[in-house]
Amino acid sequence: MARRKKGMLMEDDEPALDISSLIDVCFLLLIYFLVTSTIQPREQDLPMTLPSSQKSDAPLEIEPMLIAVKKTGSGFSIVVNKNEVLDTSVEGERRKLPLLFESLTTYSNLANANDTKPLVQLFIDPLVEQQTAMDVLNCLKGAGINSVTFSQVAK
Amino acid sequence: MASDKLRALNAKEEKEAEMDMSPMIDMVFLLLIFFIVVSSPMIVKMDPEVKPAVAFNSTPAEDKNGRIVINIRGEDEYYKVNFNDPDAKMVSKEEIKEYVEAEVKRIAAMNSEYTPKLHLRGHKEALFEYSQTAIAGAAEAGVNQIIFSVYPFAAK
Repeated sequence: MARRKKGMLMEDDEPALDISSLIDVCFLLLIYFLVTSTIQPREQDLPMTLPSSQKSDAPLEIEPMLIAVKKTGSGFSIVVNKNEVLDTSVEGERRKLPLLFESLTTYSNLANANDTKPLVQLFIDPLVEQQTAMDVLNCLKGAGINSVTFSQVAK
Repeated sequence: MASDKLRALNAKEEKEAEMDMSPMIDMVFLLLIFFIVVSSPMIVKMDPEVKPAVAFNSTPAEDKNGRIVINIRGEDEYYKVNFNDPDAKMVSKEEIKEYVEAEVKRIAAMNSEYTPKLHLRGHKEALFEYSQTAIAGAAEAGVNQIIFSVYPFAAK
């Protein structure tokens, strides 16, 4: 009688919770959220420097490159140095402009060989979308050009 | 007889060796609350109506000081960094110039080593004309460094 009472008391003293099922459910939820979630991109920088308003006395050592982005119907066309038509659409998911990139790389290398900074003057049609303008700037950045002049037709 | 009892008792104690989980759970909750508190201000400052364009040559933001944020949602309207404020909306180049000039002064008063930069958050489908207006306004206020806000890859 006495022994039984002692045993019962001991059981009451140590109530144990089985947490293994809780852990199972937690892992299940974790895997569910891992699978269903999509990765949201974080905003990054595409820096560009405009030329300062101070005029330099040194003469230009390299011919500036003129890039015009023109709106054509629903698309656009990129014209370099007034007559050379390059890309008229972006390529692939990474939105590349292969012809412009090649042209810019050549120009950038030429400028570096002459120990000068590449000079790019950019005219972007006010009616093109922001994305198209960013594609061109992305191309400039890829070619290592970080300063650009935006020309704008006065309103 | 007595030694048998003792052995049985010892064996029982070994079986019931348990780890106390409560401090670990306490720590996990503490970390959870910490991250909730820390992460919220970063989300608040981005205008959710602006969906930036994609440019894979972009780089992660290094220096976050000295930025003058202008949001372009898609019309000829420009929003300051606190886009929910009643006076956040600007409609002309002159207003942008005033805002940028005030921000340049504020940044200079805070720390003279910071370079004021225009942080342009333009919607991908907005016309580039609006960006040009914002750039021109900032250039008139003497800011010639521009940071275009972009995504490194397309959001799904």
